[in-house]
Amino acid sequence: MTDRLSETFGALADPTRRAILARLAAGEASVTELAAPFEMSMPAISKHLKVLERAGLIARGREAQWRPCRLQAGPLQDVAGWVEHYRQFWEQSFDRLDDYLRELKKQDLKNKKEKRHVRKQRKG
Amino acid sequence: MSANNARVSNTVESAEWDLVITRVFDAPREQVFRAWTDTRHMAQWWGPKGFTNPVCELDVRVGGAIRIHMRAPNGVVYPMSGVFEEITEPERLVFVSSALDENGNSMFDVLNTVTFAEQRGKTTLTLQARVIKATAQAPQYLKGMEAGWSQSLDRLGDLLDGIVGRH
Repeated sequence: MTDRLSETFGALADPTRRAILARLAAGEASVTELAAPFEMSMPAISKHLKVLERAGLIARGREAQWRPCRLQAGPLQDVAGWVEHYRQFWEQSFDRLDDYLRELKKQDLKNKKEKRHVRKQRKG
Repeated sequence: MSANNARVSNTVESAEWDLVITRVFDAPREQVFRAWTDTRHMAQWWGPKGFTNPVCELDVRVGGAIRIHMRAPNGVVYPMSGVFEEITEPERLVFVSSALDENGNSMFDVLNTVTFAEQRGKTTLTLQARVIKATAQAPQYLKGMEAGWSQSLDRLGDLLDGIVGRH
């Protein structure tokens, strides 16, 4: 069984579907309206809408004729939350990497200084 | 448009589900690259503040395995595994990382692409992360980890106060 969050990420992986969501963020729209900016057949657009609907990212009205599509906020917020946590993980790791590289640089300078010192002593 | 919709609109447009982080490090890229591919280096910085890596194994070749056990300051161990997908020294590293639950099953798989660009002795590192798989436990997992490192930051603060206080 695929997990809900996985399905959401999967649905978001496609640029056309992201563009559809961006359009829906401005308000509900019919399938014809959604298809307009894309050079795509109606069946192709319908396929994308089905993926988005299955992932819970959009809901479709029950009106028989134009069944407007609406954005569903829940799964997107889950995704945004997940990404934010993951960003924190990396920001923290990169802070440490930064400290570590500085430490290596300091060590390196110290070693060079010591080597110079030893060479001087040998000469003298 | 409701406030809720406005927030979602921002989320949609800024494509927040693709994590991209850029950092500049004051080191040549050979060295930064090595920090990612040599376990002795990596064990020193991988993971949030206060974490250690009692297990850190990297088989640096395409298809090679990554195995890291991160240990939080509160003692909780977070195991993860991964696979190297691409290694182009010293400019590009692609690997999949998976956070594991207590049974060793993956809770989320992420495809990480790391690029290293050098300019005048400094390295610009860009990490791009794309989620391949995520279970419902995934957000909880990261939240738990966050609790671990917030605690360690508090402790570090206390420790510093203590040191400053003594002088």
